[in-house]
Amino acid sequence: MNNEIAEQIKGMLVERLRIPADELEYDSELFGEDIGLDSIDSIEIIVGIENLFGVDISGAGATKEDFRSIETLTAFVEAHKEG
Amino acid sequence: MLNEKRCVITGLGLVCAIGDNTEECFESALSGRSGIEDVKSFDTSNCYSHKGAEVDLTNGQLADGKYDRTTALGIKAAGEAIADSGIDMNSETASEIGVILGSCIAGAACVEKYYNQKVKGEKGDFDDLKSMPASVIAGNVADYYNAGGMTANIVNACAAGTLSVSLAIDLIRGGKGEIFLAGGCDSFSSLAYAGFHALRALAPSDCSPFNHSDGITLGEGAGVLVVESYEHAVKRGAKIYCDVLSSGVSSDAYHITAPRPDGEGQMSVITRGVRNSGLDFKDIDYVNAHGTGTAKNDESEFLSLNTLFAENKDLYVSSTKSMTGHCLGAAGAIEAVLTVKALTEGKLPPTTGYSEEDLKVLAEKSGDINFIANKPVEKEIKYAMSNSFAFGGNNASIVFAKDPNVLNLSCPKQDLYVTGIGIVGGEYDEATDSYIAELDSEVFKAYGVKSAFLRKLDRLSQLQLLSGLKALEDAGITITPENEGYIGICIGTNDGPMTEIANFQKGIIKDGIDKGSAFAFPNTVYNAAGGYLSIATGIKGYNVTIANGFQSGLQSVCAAAGAIMFGYENIMLASGTDECTDIDTEIYTDLGYAGKGGMKLGEGSVTCVIEKDSSAADRGAKRYAKIGGFSSCRDTSGDRFNNTRLSETALTKAIMNVLEEGGMQPSDISCIYGFGNGVEEIDNFELEVYKKIFGDNIDVKLVKKDYGEARAASSSLQFAKLAEDIHDGKFESGIAVSIGTSALYSAILLTKA
Repeated sequence: MNNEIAEQIKGMLVERLRIPADELEYDSELFGEDIGLDSIDSIEIIVGIENLFGVDISGAGATKEDFRSIETLTAFVEAHKEG
Repeated sequence: MLNEKRCVITGLGLVCAIGDNTEECFESALSGRSGIEDVKSFDTSNCYSHKGAEVDLTNGQLADGKYDRTTALGIKAAGEAIADSGIDMNSETASEIGVILGSCIAGAACVEKYYNQKVKGEKGDFDDLKSMPASVIAGNVADYYNAGGMTANIVNACAAGTLSVSLAIDLIRGGKGEIFLAGGCDSFSSLAYAGFHALRALAPSDCSPFNHSDGITLGEGAGVLVVESYEHAVKRGAKIYCDVLSSGVSSDAYHITAPRPDGEGQMSVITRGVRNSGLDFKDIDYVNAHGTGTAKNDESEFLSLNTLFAENKDLYVSSTKSMTGHCLGAAGAIEAVLTVKALTEGKLPPTTGYSEEDLKVLAEKSGDINFIANKPVEKEIKYAMSNSFAFGGNNASIVFAKDPNVLNLSCPKQDLYVTGIGIVGGEYDEATDSYIAELDSEVFKAYGVKSAFLRKLDRLSQLQLLSGLKALEDAGITITPENEGYIGICIGTNDGPMTEIANFQKGIIKDGIDKGSAFAFPNTVYNAAGGYLSIATGIKGYNVTIANGFQSGLQSVCAAAGAIMFGYENIMLASGTDECTDIDTEIYTDLGYAGKGGMKLGEGSVTCVIEKDSSAADRGAKRYAKIGGFSSCRDTSGDRFNNTRLSETALTKAIMNVLEEGGMQPSDISCIYGFGNGVEEIDNFELEVYKKIFGDNIDVKLVKKDYGEARAASSSLQFAKLAEDIHDGKFESGIAVSIGTSALYSAILLTKA
């Protein structure tokens, strides 16, 4: 896993979604009991990732599984990031 | 019996994208003329949607150009309603007229202008600054027309316009007024556009309610109805359009933006509206639906209507938003005006935009209900309903009728008690020279609030949630499926979520209208705090938020008392909440208040549990004090275009009203909890008035010297402290008094329980 990307995604989630940093691990289940994100948060993640990496994750066909954790989001960004 | 007082509609005013007045709008609605076009107010080229339903008139054409566009729209519609009602605004009647207006986004146009200047490092325009909060709207409209009755701004997002009419009839039936201008107004704004764009809730093209349901189209406008007691209307020889029977108000306790998919909250509010009106579901002839055009709304509304009206084969339903757009806080009021016209003329407007193919799909989805598509229906009808469902899970329903019917509001008059108190107050913070509250996540955890939920709440909502939880705990109330529908919430605030509004606006100024935050937008609505409180606690009854100056915390108690008086609820949480952030500090510094005299800003939230006697007796509840009387008064004497003027007449009247209601004399009162905040002019004025009424020895207690000027939280705190003092035996009785804009004052008398 690309730690630099993962750290940037974590920072974005902490800032945009006010998730306490100490409760957020790379493998925390974002939409499960752990963090409890919902559909509005998923929109915010899409915009946040587009701003950070220029990757349109919904346009690139991300699935529910890709939104599962920081790890899976990182893998998706790595696979779709240009250059 | 006060509960049976007949309320009628005697004037109508309307302005929106399909017309500049009621006649023009109604004609357009019947002929299916949509007001939706490409947005002109701002550049949408980076957005996926470019549509809006804007009003062609300039602010100068609407009012005289001195007001924020939301207020200007309100002035335009109110002017038509007044003219239509035939009231001479220089007559004695004008001094009785109250003004209750709903708004979602308030002075958003001025927020945009002000922060555009601020982000460039310029000094923001003072007039824009004064026009930003919802608190000033109704007062400005009342002052404009010399209406001297009480005011209120209802800020429950998209249900605000309907709730305003609902509150007007409650006040009339409760003996607190004879005639009100009630409705709502909201302007087109980059704030709302960017917010709904961020939520992907805008339709790509024209909205298509109960049809393609792929999002809303925002609109702007205002609707105002003259709501009057029947006796008053007859006495002055008024033209009467119809009766307004009753209303229903409920909350979903589910999600901050989405309605419950199972329609429970919608069905609850429709049921309340029908039952309170003394009707049955089969009696309703026409429903002007909320019908926004989002998939979530339309699906749950189809479900709710089909379920409740399954036995009613003659029901007609339409959503006029397909033509007017979604005008947010004005929507319910605009639709109420169109519903009154439909009822009285026997012409029901359609939902527009169906193709032949769409009509076939509609036939399958609509069951036995007659969804009016594309063309109006001519039909003599007797009972018509208008429904609104808002962010925060707030629902409101109102029923208009051709006859007075026999209402089902047979709640016998009962004494009301304060049975619980929750206080979140600030402590002096040297760094900011203000009184700041501590919000510790561990405290929330102890109340069972998960951090996954808490993170969504802005500071205002967290303050509100904590005081609400403390009050419920103090009162010994646990929310259960048995009591969840009999408990309601009424919140007062002066500035609402101004921090969230300012930060959201600054974000889109910096990044573009297409880059708004979906996470932050729901918290920019004034009723988010009340919505979160209902979601966290499971309270599903009445839910209203009033933004009306510092006195809002007291006015929330008055509205809460009204909700119990009519048997809507057994128990109400009445709160006052305001925050103090860097944004508030900047605003109050720019306004010239912060640091003026001894005034220091504060923040906090205070929630009091108001309960009727029988409920308190059943629970064996602790009783702090009894509510002996409540009153809100204002007048238009002096320079009525100065909305920070003081009025001895109005303050005196509010106090004398509560004494009369409680059957007491000034000499019976030993304590006043006043609103003095260290600003010399206000403090001196207040003390002078009290001395004239009560003599030199009256004990005036001022909470703001220990907690700062926490605005609505302060007025609630005055009330709570008085209740505690009476409970502790310090006083037999006392009065809490506070002040709003446009010379509005509220007073509440508390006596020994």
